[in-house]
Amino acid sequence: MRRLGLIALGLVLIALALFARQGFQHENQPGPLPVAPESTATSVRSVPLWFASADGDSLVLEPRDLAEPSGLHPRLAALVAALEQGPRGDGARTLPQGTSLQHAYLDETGLLTLDLSPAFRQGFQGGARVEELVVGSLVRTVSANVPEAKRIRIVCGGAAFTSLGGHFPLDRPLDPDDWP
Amino acid sequence: MNRALAAGVAAMLLAGARTGAAPPGSTAASAASVAADSARVPAGLGVPAVATVRVDGVDVVPANDLAWLLGAARSWNADVRKLVLTFGAHRLTFTDGNPFVIADDRTLELDHQVFSRAGELQVPVELARALPEDGGWPRLGYDARAGELRAAPADGYVGSPRVLVRAGTTELVIPTEHPELARVVGRGRSRFRMRFRGAFSGALPDSLPADALVHDVSVRATPGGLTFELAVDAAAAGWRWELSPSRDAVTLTLDRAAGALQPFAPEPPPGARPLRTVVLDPGHGGVDTGVQSDGVLEKTLTLDLAKALADELRRRAGAHVTLTRTDDRDMSQLGRSEVANAPKPDVVVSLHFGMSLDPRARGGAAWCAPASVSGAVLDPPGVPADRAHAPALLELLPWRDAATAHAVEGRALAEDLTAVLEHDGFGPMSVRERMPLALLGVTAPGVLLECGTLSNKEERARILAPNGIHRLAAAIATGLILWQHGGE
Repeated sequence: MRRLGLIALGLVLIALALFARQGFQHENQPGPLPVAPESTATSVRSVPLWFASADGDSLVLEPRDLAEPSGLHPRLAALVAALEQGPRGDGARTLPQGTSLQHAYLDETGLLTLDLSPAFRQGFQGGARVEELVVGSLVRTVSANVPEAKRIRIVCGGAAFTSLGGHFPLDRPLDPDDWP
Repeated sequence: MNRALAAGVAAMLLAGARTGAAPPGSTAASAASVAADSARVPAGLGVPAVATVRVDGVDVVPANDLAWLLGAARSWNADVRKLVLTFGAHRLTFTDGNPFVIADDRTLELDHQVFSRAGELQVPVELARALPEDGGWPRLGYDARAGELRAAPADGYVGSPRVLVRAGTTELVIPTEHPELARVVGRGRSRFRMRFRGAFSGALPDSLPADALVHDVSVRATPGGLTFELAVDAAAAGWRWELSPSRDAVTLTLDRAAGALQPFAPEPPPGARPLRTVVLDPGHGGVDTGVQSDGVLEKTLTLDLAKALADELRRRAGAHVTLTRTDDRDMSQLGRSEVANAPKPDVVVSLHFGMSLDPRARGGAAWCAPASVSGAVLDPPGVPADRAHAPALLELLPWRDAATAHAVEGRALAEDLTAVLEHDGFGPMSVRERMPLALLGVTAPGVLLECGTLSNKEERARILAPNGIHRLAAAIATGLILWQHGGE
């Protein structure tokens, strides 16, 4: 009988402890977040992304909050992934579905080589206007967010190629100033 | 986010670039500080700016907008209710309910507290005047009249162009904080283009002197800077691009006498052009099908169109027509340009069809070679003209850029072709200057012509109609004949 009483007392104490802990937590729970929730997890930055306009005739700017990774490759990979996901507002995706960044190299002259996954070429469908938008959105987005890149070379699956859709040369580095 | 990139050309460049920070409190001091802030960061084309809001009598900017203005990464610590903005080598730390802002290792006291509203910190605009003026901190300015907080552009400002005419020479002097980053990017007389870094905080001339060699000046913002475009008089024989002696401006000199000046892009003599030999390049071929839409292959359509267009040109213009391919085969660009150059053509047209991201989109576009400039041409002041321009006289054109020597004629061709196609109901059409693959190594005026949008159901049906290809071929032939007659 005394043993049962001790067990009951123990249970009551545990329950009281749990209740007290919950109450303490409630007291210290922070109020409403004063900034957008995504910025609480890690450092975030609003970056300019360029997508095709809804009518597919020009490029439109869409600022978006992205986590701020350290290092060139993660930064560029995040930009390419955001372009691949497409716009959240009006507009249309430019990069073919499945496109991702495999490697990125920035040499001392400011030449940035973007090595994209094979989906970039395999998934491309379009004429000259679409091809111009695809390359333009990539070059504009990268140059706006990586100012140290003075010229951009696009390769795919580790290999250089002549053209994405047969309309504009991609076998030479691109000058961002030529894609205004 | 309530962001507003400042757009439109400012009417004036406000005088008195810097004014010391006034003590807050009095009305007079506030008015003075508003004027000072407007002057320290003038409005203008391409100046980054965000809208401010007034909350309980305090003008504030939302923290996320401020971060965007500064290009800063944001990090929020909910436990201590602090927001850290990191940009370049600097950090700004704001605390909810606190007027103190930590700027790196300094403490700034604002007149009002930073506070939270609608889930976002709000920063009083007096931060603009409180930021340190040394150590490479960005320059911010609050414009109460415009209701915006502006950041001085990283590449500085470009000021009002001045046009000076003297003894047959026209000088265009454009002030810029970074003259070394300015360059000529298009040397066609009708579209002479200069690109600058920075934002435009000046005004274009209301009018130009009657005897000036420039008829029109326009400016537009482009990512990373500005592009000025001029219409240059046909009497101008050449141009020179140099750093001003004070090194705070660039000067474009246009002269009636050729001398040792840079040449404009070659132009044909006025009047009719020859159209004796035409090369048509049916796009794609072989394994490269081009775009596909509802079972229609672009490579097949381009070949059909090229054959129909060849018949039209032979019949209506008596032209000798060569096709780069006459059947369904793979062709490299080198192979195409060899075939294209062999008959020494008067014109080359590469035929394509497009496909849009928007199923409602219609029409097409023509791409022509840009009248670009190779090599650096900004001359230092005080260098004799003949020495300064020696490299220009020996300018070599890489083989792949051969078509740029025919850029003016190519542009005229693109405009004539698109005008006729629009008139005949194949529009909307546009003209774009970008070297297409099809013109690499081509030694003649040419265009890549996207004739229609196959992803548009109606347009596809019209092209595939019994007379569709022939109607299109007739319109293109009319455009070529229009170009032959000098656009008249």
